[in-house]
Amino acid sequence: MRKYLTRRGDGGRIEMEADEIIRDIEQGTQDAAERGKIARLSKSDTEHLMDIFTNPNRIVGVEPGREVVLTDDIGPFRLIIDQGNSAVGISLGNVQAIQIHERGYGMDTTTFAHFDASFKAVKPVLANVLQEFENALLNTIIPIYFCCMPNLGAYYMPDGPFPNPSDLMPIGKIKEALESQEKTVERATNDMIYISEALASIGCDGVNFDTVGAAGDGDFLATLRAVEHVKKNTNLSVQVGMASEFVLGLHGGLEYSGKRLAGMYPHQQVKVVEKAGADIFGPVVNTKSTKSVPWNLARAVTFCKACSEASNIPVHPNVGMGVGGVPMFETPPPDVVCRVSKALVEIGKADGL
Amino acid sequence: MDKEEWMRKAAQCVMDGDEDGAVELANRYLEAGLNPVEMIEEGLSEGIRKLGNLFDRGEIFLPQLIVASDAMTAAIKVLEQALPKEKKGRKLAKVVLGTIEGDLHDIGKGIVATMLRVYGFDVYDLGRDVPIAKFVEKAKEVDADVVGSSALMTSTQVGQKYLEKALREAGLREKVKTMVGGAATTEHWAKKIGADLHGEDASETVMKLKKIFG
Repeated sequence: MRKYLTRRGDGGRIEMEADEIIRDIEQGTQDAAERGKIARLSKSDTEHLMDIFTNPNRIVGVEPGREVVLTDDIGPFRLIIDQGNSAVGISLGNVQAIQIHERGYGMDTTTFAHFDASFKAVKPVLANVLQEFENALLNTIIPIYFCCMPNLGAYYMPDGPFPNPSDLMPIGKIKEALESQEKTVERATNDMIYISEALASIGCDGVNFDTVGAAGDGDFLATLRAVEHVKKNTNLSVQVGMASEFVLGLHGGLEYSGKRLAGMYPHQQVKVVEKAGADIFGPVVNTKSTKSVPWNLARAVTFCKACSEASNIPVHPNVGMGVGGVPMFETPPPDVVCRVSKALVEIGKADGL
Repeated sequence: MDKEEWMRKAAQCVMDGDEDGAVELANRYLEAGLNPVEMIEEGLSEGIRKLGNLFDRGEIFLPQLIVASDAMTAAIKVLEQALPKEKKGRKLAKVVLGTIEGDLHDIGKGIVATMLRVYGFDVYDLGRDVPIAKFVEKAKEVDADVVGSSALMTSTQVGQKYLEKALREAGLREKVKTMVGGAATTEHWAKKIGADLHGEDASETVMKLKKIFG
């Protein structure tokens, strides 16, 4: 029986027979359907996914005419930094890295980010950030998003002023833990608004609220409130990119527009993001490193398809290390990244990536 | 009330996070002269198992899980009075847990700590940005069975490798099971650095440790 090269969710190369790939696709879509209470992939969708996996070429792409726009998550920054065991570490400034994305890569949009990439960290050095960002804007024509995380975790002790729910809850101070999160939401919302308005004043094209929900439902709520204000009061384009496939209920009772945020899956998240006025939504589906890529991608496509069908705004799923069906591996293998991209666009109905 | 009804009510008290109700039920159960082990294993534990599944699926949230765990602990305290001495206060294993030095992300690790406590492990949560030496020191101090470290970032996960080395140098490595977790880690990473186990998420961590110590 012929075997096809694919990967595990940790990036390791594996070979699977057609029957094994079909089995994993079926199980992956079933898992998403059960968790999200959404429709499984149809027979034609699974056949299409099977064709993508059994294509003998290392690199695959979408059919002509089905190309989509690309956004990035601190792509220019990735050229500059060296984390010791990942990223590129080239001696470049932010402006040159952005110009490479514009003129070298031909990206549709790109991002500018502060080294820490959290709103709280940016606030005290905002003047310096604005100066460098304005320089990038004046030297390029590509739309540039300011990419930053709400990162509510940074507002809790010992990094911030509010009592840490992770310390309070284990000692039974549930009420205090919930109150602390509510206060943090207010502070974080204000910071995001303050920074976004300053960005608008220098001609920034948009803000990419990134890794939203990483610190739970409060993180998501603060972002939604900030987005609502920013869209009503500035001309900034707004992207909201999530941190994980479902909103972690660290509070559990927070609501936006009458909807409880905790436990929301992508097709539900997009509706509140849309309501807040955002222009683009970036769903995340987490990769399970012990499962195969066919299992993970079938799952990711199932969630994204439901999200795209529910949405009235463009959906740009996150495709990268450990998300969207891409393995949890520092340099994601191109044979997988291109298959994930094709599947999310052609089956998951993504408007961009 | 028949046995099934006792167990159903015990599970429900846990699921509702009803600490007073759980304590009252446990007292009445003992007064009826029934077996406390059965209520712990088939009633209270069943409630927490069901909640664990709901938490895993995003249908209930951390505060509810903690309140439920408190209700279960309070009821167990009552039932323990009737247990033989050797079974009182028995925990599955001692787990030293922390986020590796340099990494400030401790929400996931906190959830793992909560889930482990809920399932009967004795957890020593060292917090975040924990120096390697502190893991070793605590493991020695409490005579740990498991040392678990979490890393969210690829830039910090290398600390988990250094922890393995430090435990070997302290002569503890053969005595403890080591476990790595956090978004940046995989089973492959665990094998590469010589860790015994990888926990993909809180539920898997509990499941793997229960298999060894449960």
